[in-house]
Amino acid sequence: MSLLIGALTIGFILSLLALGVFISFRIFDFPDITADGSSTLGAAIAAVLLIKGINPVLASAAGFAGGFLAGGVTGTLAMKFKINGLLAGILVMTALYSFNLHIMGKSNVPLFGRPTLSSYAETTGMRLLGRSTLRVLGWDVTVTEASTLITAFVAVLLVSLLLYLFLQTNLGAAMRATGNNRQMIRALGVNDERMIILGLSISNGLIALAGALLAQYQGFADIQMGIGMIVWGLASVIIGEALVGTRQVGMAIVGAIMGSVLFRLLVAIALRLGLDPNDLKLMTAAFVFAALILPGLLKNIQRRKAQALHA
Amino acid sequence: MLEICGVRKVFSQGTPNEVRALQGVDLKIETGSFVVIIGTNGSGKSTLLNVVGGTLQIDSGVISLAGVNITKWPEYRRAKLIGRVFQNPFSGTAPEMSVAENLALAARRGRPRRLSWLLGAAKRDELRERVRYLKMDLENRLDDQIGSLSGGQRQALTLLMATWLKPELLLLDEHTAALDPKSADQVITLTDEIVEREKLTTLMVTHSMHQAANLGDRLVMMHHGRIIQDFHGAERKRTRVDDLLARFEDVRRADQLDETAAEMLRRVYI
Repeated sequence: MSLLIGALTIGFILSLLALGVFISFRIFDFPDITADGSSTLGAAIAAVLLIKGINPVLASAAGFAGGFLAGGVTGTLAMKFKINGLLAGILVMTALYSFNLHIMGKSNVPLFGRPTLSSYAETTGMRLLGRSTLRVLGWDVTVTEASTLITAFVAVLLVSLLLYLFLQTNLGAAMRATGNNRQMIRALGVNDERMIILGLSISNGLIALAGALLAQYQGFADIQMGIGMIVWGLASVIIGEALVGTRQVGMAIVGAIMGSVLFRLLVAIALRLGLDPNDLKLMTAAFVFAALILPGLLKNIQRRKAQALHA
Repeated sequence: MLEICGVRKVFSQGTPNEVRALQGVDLKIETGSFVVIIGTNGSGKSTLLNVVGGTLQIDSGVISLAGVNITKWPEYRRAKLIGRVFQNPFSGTAPEMSVAENLALAARRGRPRRLSWLLGAAKRDELRERVRYLKMDLENRLDDQIGSLSGGQRQALTLLMATWLKPELLLLDEHTAALDPKSADQVITLTDEIVEREKLTTLMVTHSMHQAANLGDRLVMMHHGRIIQDFHGAERKRTRVDDLLARFEDVRRADQLDETAAEMLRRVYI
């Protein structure tokens, strides 16, 4: 049971990552690999501030701001200096590695005993319920686990609602239109380059926020924790699209969250069934590869079948 | 009023593929005038539209619109003054967004976009009203993705979008060339109606001799990056398709003469 709750909690936290990847990959069609660096950046900033005794909400917000700036740098490199988008992301990601080490001062910052969002959730849950275990559907669940899960869920609900509302404003809609048809939105008087820079900023802000929350959940920030984040996010977005089957904004956001949770559950099950944790990233990459080429393959097979019928 | 003075544009300068697309074009368009441009392939007519719209920057010359020198303005800034319809029906709309969203985006052409709602209830009513005017039964499809509409419907909507806020200049770049004949006729009728009603200053490029002979109050012919003929007033009214074809034939013959003359000169001097 605690395995299940753990998977759900990480799924919700990393759905912020999925939303960030949704913005860069799906709205702007911009393969932004900055994510690997900005998620660690968010974790590093939050961890260092928490050690200093800063309020966890503020520390998480500072993590968001760090990612926002990093995304802005990638966007500026790509738009103003005309560097290939993938390369711009690689440059910023590489630079962030050193940057993150400087922020943390060492490669791992433990948060043991410090007040974090997780410890806040735990004490609130204890105070409300007055005991340390619950029975849910016949299972024993610790209040710590349950309240952390609920906190992660509420945080994601709030952030995704804000994102959805933002995308319905004049500014947000101009961003969506930029990703859809740059020529059209330029002809309507929008500076498309500025929209992409802003979009990548928001995207990486969300990804860094995911990193900040993840660090508080697992109790440490680590210089390696961002590796492969972009592929995890992409896997969640792809699963989400398969689940909701539409790219209409509201449903796509719900899909990204559902995809992230389902992906974490699949990972937990695979590990439980004896998958070597060292193979996890290989399996994820293979999964994304399959998910990217499968729709095309299926279409081909269908067309061949149809042709065979006609012949 | 649009003023184009001594505009030059060369593509791939200094390479074997060098193309002198505009070789010193001067054109002055009075406010409220509807000018149609025709020309041979590669005459520079589309390039002219693109340098006015800001898609291409010019090598030399001055472009001013409504008394403002816009030569150095980027495309998105010029959009404050200019409404555009492109040749490709896919260019003027955001396919994955709804009809209503596309129109609402156009209703703020050139204005700042902040955190107010794109679509309020009042905005929706206004959208429906103006879409009804197209008489294409699109007022009940406001929430459909605009990508699901036909080319003709999209082009009609793009025209509505370009003129939603009255532009100082309307640019039409062969905007019916990619449509079937029936849709093309519909869009042309609509163009004529809107330009007439709003008294829009309009610059339209076309391949169709028929459109050229029947639309607008002034007709400009281009060839090899220059304006070679400018019909206006009574002369414009008398011009028929046959006259235009005859003029093009003259141009073709002159070109052949140029070729042989060049060949002769080469033989003599090289």
